[in-house]
Amino acid sequence: MHGTLGFIVFVMAFPILIAAIVSTQEVGIVASFGDLMPGSHLFENYQTVMTDYNFGVYLLNSFIMSIVIVVGKLAISLLAALAIVYYDFPFKNLMFFVILFTLMLPVPVRFVPLFNIVTDLGWYNSMLALTIPYLASATTVFLLRQHFYSIPESIVEQAKLDGIGPFKFLFYVLIPMSKGMLAGVSVIMFIYAWNQYLWPLVIIDSQSQQVTQVGITLLQGDIQAGELQWSIVMAGAIITLIPPLLALIAFRKPLLETFGVQQK
Amino acid sequence: MMTREIYNRSWLAYLLLLPTLVVSVVFLYYPAIQAAHLSLYETLQFGTVRLWTGLGNYQHLLTSSDYHSSIGVTVLFSLIVIFGVMALSLVISYLIYEVSVGQSSYLIAAIWPYALPPAVAGIVFFYIIHPSLGVLTTPIEALFGVNVDWFTNGTQAFIIVTVAVIWKQIGYNVIFMIAALNNVPDTLGEVADLDGVGKFKRLVRVYTPLISPTLIFLIVMNTIYAFFHTFAFIDILTQGGPGGATNIMIYDLYRNAFEFNNHGLASAQSVILFFVVGILMYAQLRLSDRYAHYG
Repeated sequence: MHGTLGFIVFVMAFPILIAAIVSTQEVGIVASFGDLMPGSHLFENYQTVMTDYNFGVYLLNSFIMSIVIVVGKLAISLLAALAIVYYDFPFKNLMFFVILFTLMLPVPVRFVPLFNIVTDLGWYNSMLALTIPYLASATTVFLLRQHFYSIPESIVEQAKLDGIGPFKFLFYVLIPMSKGMLAGVSVIMFIYAWNQYLWPLVIIDSQSQQVTQVGITLLQGDIQAGELQWSIVMAGAIITLIPPLLALIAFRKPLLETFGVQQK
Repeated sequence: MMTREIYNRSWLAYLLLLPTLVVSVVFLYYPAIQAAHLSLYETLQFGTVRLWTGLGNYQHLLTSSDYHSSIGVTVLFSLIVIFGVMALSLVISYLIYEVSVGQSSYLIAAIWPYALPPAVAGIVFFYIIHPSLGVLTTPIEALFGVNVDWFTNGTQAFIIVTVAVIWKQIGYNVIFMIAALNNVPDTLGEVADLDGVGKFKRLVRVYTPLISPTLIFLIVMNTIYAFFHTFAFIDILTQGGPGGATNIMIYDLYRNAFEFNNHGLASAQSVILFFVVGILMYAQLRLSDRYAHYG
């Protein structure tokens, strides 16, 4: 059993292991298993890709983009969920439906006009284009709403008796009681934002504004132009992989709880 | 009755909803409506001239053999991806579920591809199976007696893309399957043990039916993945080729929009995809009632 599982895990990790090994080599062409020896150029290759091939900038852009998206989504979704669960107002179900229906409108469904609107706003090639259109999140509102309904009614009653205002209620009751959930949602959103490819590809044209997912394909282009070593590309691949992987490992508990996994 | 509605200043509720609503209307609803509108025009001269064509774009798509083949490729690709991902994930999840020691280590080791950026997955696959310099090329040629040449061989290109796409999606499925398996009462497994049912039979006969709501949910999620989130793989590995062998619908749309500047046609394709998403979302909402236990 452990043997089989070990083998499966190894096969799954195999491509990335090769990428990691190649990223330490000088030449970086691995045509047979005999070439699979770690080289001594780890530090050099990673430094080259970070400075000479702009990955420092790409990485920074990816971080800014992902963090703005995560924080923005959480902030406005918390407000929306607060309104939907704790307020009585006309057209409440309609409003919730209007938010939920956006699940039907992923980027491919509104591709060309979205590009035109963002360009008309003067956001082409900017961080605004990468983040603002992504801030509304039906999934986050939905998950927060579910979670708020699971908070004991007695706590809500108490807040009402104490006459606590909505923002105090949000900051001193709801957010502290939703910590695990918020952490889980943040990790999901971070990985999702970090892994965006299609939208940055079309809306960002300048190397200094580009994100790391697209940046790595620019390296691939340089290879075809004969300007680059594969070891440099693989160093770029590993660098692009590390942040979402660290997020997954560090926040695995809240992530798995959000997905509904109770670990033994 | 809901006793949670402790506030009733309507204007404040709308103010709280405002940011979400503004972003939704400006960047989701309005462009979607625009897409429907634009799909009725023919765009000429690199997108600078628009001519009313009514349903012309749809007519063109319905009669275009290239679009038919793109639909065919998408359907075949999705079916193989869904079946492949679910079968492999089920076996892996079951093995992890059955081990008693080191379960959480195996779980992490199996779900990490969930965090793997698709562009990285694409580049790494491009490299390890490259026709002339990939480390897997020679062993595969020796094992299957083929000449690895997916730059020009459509079938091979389709296989490479499919394998890469399946590999990337296993992690996501394992998360949900482990969750579902952990919810199955332990006694059921013990009873099957006593009855002397073999491990594999137990998976097929006992566990698979019990976790079927999760499996249905995953079918929907994997379909959405195959349709929309595999763009990076196609773009990096094959660019839809060779000869349209990997030209799935989302890639065809992208090319019409940004390579050929045929915005009207691309928008018509968006509208068609909207109905595809609609059907999938409807299925998902109907099924999520049966599968609703978020932490």
